[in-house]
Amino acid sequence: MSQQSENGRRDFLKAVGVAGAVVALEGVSAGGRKLSARLVRGPEDPEPPNEIVAKILKDRFGDRTIQRGHLTLDMAKMNEDGRYVPVSLESDLPMAADKYITSVYFIIDHNPDPLVFAMHLTPRIGPLAIQTRVKMRRTSWIRAICETSDGELWADYAKIETTLDGCG
Amino acid sequence: MEIGKGKIVIPERIKAGDVIRVQAVVQHPMDTGFFRDANANMIPPFFVQDVRVTYGDEEIARFEWTSGVSRDPMISFTVKADREAPLTFTYKDNTGKTYQSSVPVAFQPS
Repeated sequence: MSQQSENGRRDFLKAVGVAGAVVALEGVSAGGRKLSARLVRGPEDPEPPNEIVAKILKDRFGDRTIQRGHLTLDMAKMNEDGRYVPVSLESDLPMAADKYITSVYFIIDHNPDPLVFAMHLTPRIGPLAIQTRVKMRRTSWIRAICETSDGELWADYAKIETTLDGCG
Repeated sequence: MEIGKGKIVIPERIKAGDVIRVQAVVQHPMDTGFFRDANANMIPPFFVQDVRVTYGDEEIARFEWTSGVSRDPMISFTVKADREAPLTFTYKDNTGKTYQSSVPVAFQPS
Protein backbone atom coordinates (compact mmCIF):
# COMPACT_ATOMS: atom_id res chain seq x y z
CA MET A 1 0.00 0.00 0.00
CA SER A 2 2.61 2.46 1.05
CA GLN A 3 4.84 1.21 -1.78
CA GLN A 4 2.07 1.89 -4.26
CA SER A 5 1.41 5.40 -3.01
CA GLU A 6 5.13 6.11 -3.10
CA ASN A 7 5.21 5.04 -6.78
CA GLY A 8 2.17 7.16 -7.51
CA ARG A 9 3.83 10.19 -5.98
CA ARG A 10 7.02 9.55 -7.89
CA ASP A 11 5.09 9.32 -11.19
CA PHE A 12 3.25 12.47 -10.33
CA LEU A 13 6.45 14.33 -9.51
CA LYS A 14 8.04 13.00 -12.69
CA ALA A 15 5.11 14.23 -14.75
CA VAL A 16 5.16 17.62 -13.08
CA GLY A 17 8.91 17.79 -13.53
CA VAL A 18 8.66 17.11 -17.26
CA ALA A 19 5.84 19.60 -17.64
CA GLY A 20 7.85 22.15 -15.69
CA ALA A 21 10.85 21.57 -17.90
CA VAL A 22 8.69 22.01 -20.99
CA VAL A 23 7.24 25.25 -19.63
CA ALA A 24 10.73 26.43 -18.77
CA LEU A 25 12.02 25.57 -22.25
CA GLU A 26 9.10 27.35 -23.84
CA GLY A 27 9.80 30.35 -21.67
CA VAL A 28 13.39 30.41 -22.83
CA SER A 29 12.48 30.11 -26.48
CA ALA A 30 9.85 32.82 -26.10
CA GLY A 31 12.47 34.96 -24.44
CA GLY A 32 14.82 34.18 -27.30
CA ARG A 33 12.28 35.25 -29.86
CA LYS A 34 11.66 38.49 -28.02
CA LEU A 35 15.38 39.14 -27.90
CA SER A 36 15.89 38.49 -31.60
CA ALA A 37 12.96 40.74 -32.46
CA ARG A 38 14.64 43.46 -30.44
CA LEU A 39 17.93 42.89 -32.24
CA VAL A 40 16.19 43.21 -35.61
CA ARG A 41 14.82 46.58 -34.56
CA GLY A 42 18.36 47.65 -33.72
CA PRO A 43 19.77 49.41 -30.69
CA GLU A 44 17.64 52.20 -29.29
CA ASP A 45 17.48 55.05 -31.72
CA PRO A 46 17.46 58.67 -30.56
CA GLU A 47 14.27 60.70 -30.59
CA PRO A 48 13.80 62.81 -33.75
CA PRO A 49 16.03 65.89 -33.67
CA ASN A 50 14.45 69.16 -32.55
CA GLU A 51 14.44 72.18 -34.85
CA ILE A 52 17.87 73.53 -33.85
CA VAL A 53 19.52 70.10 -34.02
CA ALA A 54 17.88 69.38 -37.38
CA LYS A 55 19.33 72.64 -38.71
CA ILE A 56 22.81 71.77 -37.42
CA LEU A 57 22.62 68.32 -39.05
CA LYS A 58 21.38 69.86 -42.32
CA ASP A 59 24.09 72.60 -42.31
CA ARG A 60 26.93 70.20 -41.56
CA PHE A 61 25.89 67.06 -43.43
CA GLY A 62 23.21 68.09 -45.97
CA ASP A 63 21.05 65.11 -46.84
CA ARG A 64 23.76 62.49 -46.46
CA THR A 65 22.91 59.32 -44.55
CA ILE A 66 24.30 58.98 -41.04
CA GLN A 67 24.91 55.34 -40.15
CA ARG A 68 25.27 53.95 -36.68
CA GLY A 69 28.59 52.21 -36.02
CA HIS A 70 32.39 52.53 -35.98
CA LEU A 71 32.13 55.21 -33.30
CA THR A 72 31.72 54.46 -29.60
CA LEU A 73 30.33 57.07 -27.25
CA ASP A 74 31.14 56.15 -23.68
CA MET A 75 29.45 58.18 -20.94
CA ALA A 76 27.95 57.42 -17.54
CA LYS A 77 24.17 56.94 -17.89
CA MET A 78 23.59 59.19 -14.90
CA ASN A 79 25.54 62.32 -13.99
CA GLU A 80 24.94 64.29 -10.80
CA ASP A 81 26.75 67.44 -11.87
CA GLY A 82 25.75 68.85 -15.26
CA ARG A 83 28.73 71.22 -15.17
CA TYR A 84 31.27 68.45 -15.56
CA VAL A 85 30.09 65.50 -17.62
CA PRO A 86 32.97 63.27 -18.77
CA VAL A 87 32.87 62.14 -22.40
CA SER A 88 34.88 59.42 -24.10
CA LEU A 89 34.81 58.84 -27.86
CA GLU A 90 36.56 56.02 -29.67
CA SER A 91 36.57 54.70 -33.19
CA ASP A 92 38.02 51.72 -35.06
CA LEU A 93 38.19 53.70 -38.30
CA PRO A 94 41.71 54.14 -39.73
CA MET A 95 43.72 57.35 -39.39
CA ALA A 96 45.81 56.68 -42.53
CA ALA A 97 46.89 59.23 -45.10
CA ASP A 98 44.38 57.91 -47.69
CA LYS A 99 41.46 57.35 -45.33
CA TYR A 100 40.94 59.07 -42.01
CA ILE A 101 38.43 60.79 -39.79
CA THR A 102 38.25 64.44 -40.84
CA SER A 103 35.79 65.68 -38.24
CA VAL A 104 34.01 64.73 -35.05
CA TYR A 105 30.82 66.48 -33.97
CA PHE A 106 29.29 66.31 -30.51
CA ILE A 107 25.65 67.36 -30.14
CA ILE A 108 23.55 67.54 -26.95
CA ASP A 109 19.92 67.90 -28.10
CA HIS A 110 18.60 69.85 -25.12
CA ASN A 111 21.52 72.21 -24.51
CA PRO A 112 21.02 75.92 -25.34
CA ASP A 113 23.82 75.57 -27.90
CA PRO A 114 23.47 71.93 -29.01
CA LEU A 115 26.67 71.64 -31.06
CA VAL A 116 28.98 71.58 -28.04
CA PHE A 117 32.20 70.97 -29.91
CA ALA A 118 33.55 69.96 -33.29
CA MET A 119 37.04 68.63 -33.92
CA HIS A 120 38.77 68.74 -37.29
CA LEU A 121 41.56 66.20 -37.59
CA THR A 122 44.41 65.18 -39.88
CA PRO A 123 46.20 61.82 -40.32
CA ARG A 124 48.86 63.06 -37.86
CA ILE A 125 46.35 62.20 -35.17
CA GLY A 126 46.51 58.60 -33.93
CA PRO A 127 43.56 56.18 -33.54
CA LEU A 128 40.54 58.16 -32.37
CA ALA A 129 40.36 58.12 -28.56
CA ILE A 130 39.08 61.45 -27.28
CA GLN A 131 38.33 62.37 -23.70
CA THR A 132 36.85 65.67 -22.57
CA ARG A 133 34.24 67.23 -20.27
CA VAL A 134 31.04 69.02 -21.26
CA LYS A 135 28.09 70.81 -19.65
CA MET A 136 24.53 69.50 -19.78
CA ARG A 137 21.33 71.42 -19.06
CA ARG A 138 19.12 68.40 -18.46
CA THR A 139 18.55 64.81 -19.45
CA SER A 140 19.07 64.60 -23.18
CA TRP A 141 19.90 62.47 -26.16
CA ILE A 142 23.49 62.92 -27.23
CA ARG A 143 24.72 62.48 -30.79
CA ALA A 144 28.37 61.86 -31.62
CA ILE A 145 28.99 61.92 -35.37
CA CYS A 146 32.24 61.49 -37.25
CA GLU A 147 32.96 62.18 -40.90
CA THR A 148 35.60 60.31 -42.90
CA SER A 149 37.77 61.64 -45.71
CA ASP A 150 35.65 59.70 -48.24
CA GLY A 151 32.46 61.31 -46.98
CA GLU A 152 31.00 58.55 -44.79
CA LEU A 153 29.14 59.59 -41.65
CA TRP A 154 29.22 57.30 -38.61
CA ALA A 155 27.45 57.96 -35.34
CA ASP A 156 26.70 56.72 -31.87
CA TYR A 157 23.86 57.90 -29.65
CA ALA A 158 23.08 57.77 -25.96
CA LYS A 159 20.43 59.12 -23.63
CA ILE A 160 22.23 60.61 -20.65
CA GLU A 161 20.59 61.78 -17.45
CA THR A 162 21.72 64.68 -15.35
CA THR A 163 20.25 66.23 -12.21
CA LEU A 164 22.13 69.50 -11.71
CA ASP A 165 21.76 72.03 -14.53
CA GLY A 166 25.21 72.90 -15.82
CA CYS A 167 24.19 75.62 -18.27
CA GLY A 168 22.42 78.22 -16.09
CA MET B 1 42.81 81.75 -11.59
CA GLU B 2 45.13 82.79 -14.33
CA ILE B 3 42.99 82.79 -17.47
CA GLY B 4 44.71 81.15 -20.40
CA LYS B 5 47.34 79.34 -18.35
CA GLY B 6 47.60 75.92 -19.89
CA LYS B 7 49.35 72.64 -19.42
CA ILE B 8 50.07 69.82 -21.86
CA VAL B 9 50.88 66.37 -20.57
CA ILE B 10 52.61 63.82 -22.82
CA PRO B 11 54.41 60.58 -21.88
CA GLU B 12 57.88 61.01 -20.36
CA ARG B 13 59.56 58.44 -22.57
CA ILE B 14 58.74 58.61 -26.27
CA LYS B 15 60.30 56.59 -29.09
CA ALA B 16 60.13 57.60 -32.74
CA GLY B 17 56.89 56.28 -34.22
CA ASP B 18 55.01 55.90 -30.92
CA VAL B 19 51.36 56.80 -30.74
CA ILE B 20 51.26 59.05 -27.69
CA ARG B 21 48.36 60.33 -25.60
CA VAL B 22 48.28 64.10 -25.39
CA GLN B 23 46.27 65.72 -22.61
CA ALA B 24 45.79 69.47 -22.58
CA VAL B 25 44.17 71.63 -19.92
CA VAL B 26 43.62 75.39 -20.04
CA GLN B 27 42.29 77.67 -17.33
CA HIS B 28 39.23 79.51 -18.57
CA PRO B 29 35.82 80.27 -16.99
CA MET B 30 33.90 79.22 -20.14
CA ASP B 31 30.97 81.45 -19.10
CA THR B 32 27.77 80.68 -20.99
CA GLY B 33 26.12 84.07 -20.51
CA PHE B 34 23.17 82.44 -18.71
CA PHE B 35 24.49 82.71 -15.14
CA ARG B 36 24.24 85.68 -12.77
CA ASP B 37 26.81 86.80 -10.23
CA ALA B 38 26.14 87.37 -6.49
CA ASN B 39 24.62 90.80 -7.27
CA ALA B 40 22.23 89.29 -9.84
CA ASN B 41 24.10 90.86 -12.77
CA MET B 42 24.36 88.73 -15.88
CA ILE B 43 27.82 87.32 -16.43
CA PRO B 44 28.48 87.88 -20.15
CA PRO B 45 29.48 84.95 -22.37
CA PHE B 46 33.23 84.40 -22.17
CA PHE B 47 34.60 81.19 -23.62
CA VAL B 48 37.32 79.69 -25.80
CA GLN B 49 35.88 79.15 -29.28
CA ASP B 50 38.83 78.17 -31.44
CA VAL B 51 41.72 75.82 -30.67
CA ARG B 52 44.59 75.05 -33.03
CA VAL B 53 47.06 72.26 -32.42
CA THR B 54 50.35 72.44 -34.27
CA TYR B 55 53.15 69.87 -34.34
CA GLY B 56 56.27 71.59 -35.58
CA ASP B 57 55.00 73.96 -38.26
CA GLU B 58 52.07 71.75 -39.27
CA GLU B 59 48.51 72.20 -38.02
CA ILE B 60 47.38 68.72 -36.99
CA ALA B 61 43.98 69.52 -35.46
CA ARG B 62 41.50 72.33 -35.01
CA PHE B 63 38.64 72.38 -32.53
CA GLU B 64 35.47 74.48 -32.50
CA TRP B 65 34.37 74.97 -28.91
CA THR B 66 31.33 76.62 -27.36
CA SER B 67 30.43 77.52 -23.80
CA GLY B 68 29.05 73.97 -23.56
CA VAL B 69 32.59 72.78 -22.86
CA SER B 70 33.23 72.62 -19.09
CA ARG B 71 35.10 75.29 -17.12
CA ASP B 72 38.89 74.84 -17.34
CA PRO B 73 38.59 72.72 -20.50
CA MET B 74 40.39 69.41 -20.72
CA ILE B 75 40.92 67.52 -23.95
CA SER B 76 42.84 64.34 -24.57
CA PHE B 77 43.58 62.48 -27.81
CA THR B 78 46.37 60.53 -29.51
CA VAL B 79 49.13 61.77 -31.81
CA LYS B 80 51.64 59.90 -33.97
CA ALA B 81 55.00 61.04 -32.63
CA ASP B 82 57.06 60.76 -35.82
CA ARG B 83 59.49 63.65 -35.33
CA GLU B 84 61.04 65.83 -32.69
CA ALA B 85 59.16 69.11 -32.71
CA PRO B 86 57.15 71.25 -30.33
CA LEU B 87 53.46 70.48 -29.82
CA THR B 88 51.61 73.77 -29.42
CA PHE B 89 48.02 74.58 -28.47
CA THR B 90 46.69 78.04 -29.36
CA TYR B 91 43.39 78.98 -27.73
CA LYS B 92 41.31 81.94 -28.91
CA ASP B 93 38.32 83.15 -26.90
CA ASN B 94 35.23 85.08 -28.01
CA THR B 95 36.83 88.39 -26.98
CA GLY B 96 39.66 87.74 -29.43
CA LYS B 97 42.35 87.05 -26.84
CA THR B 98 44.72 84.21 -27.60
CA TYR B 99 46.60 81.98 -25.21
CA GLN B 100 49.31 79.50 -26.02
CA SER B 101 50.95 76.52 -24.36
CA SER B 102 53.64 74.29 -25.78
CA VAL B 103 55.60 71.14 -24.99
CA PRO B 104 58.59 69.68 -26.84
CA VAL B 105 58.26 66.16 -28.26
CA ALA B 106 61.75 64.67 -27.80
CA PHE B 107 62.74 61.06 -28.39
CA GLN B 108 64.55 58.95 -25.80
CA PRO B 109 67.73 57.30 -27.06
CA SER B 110 66.93 53.57 -27.05
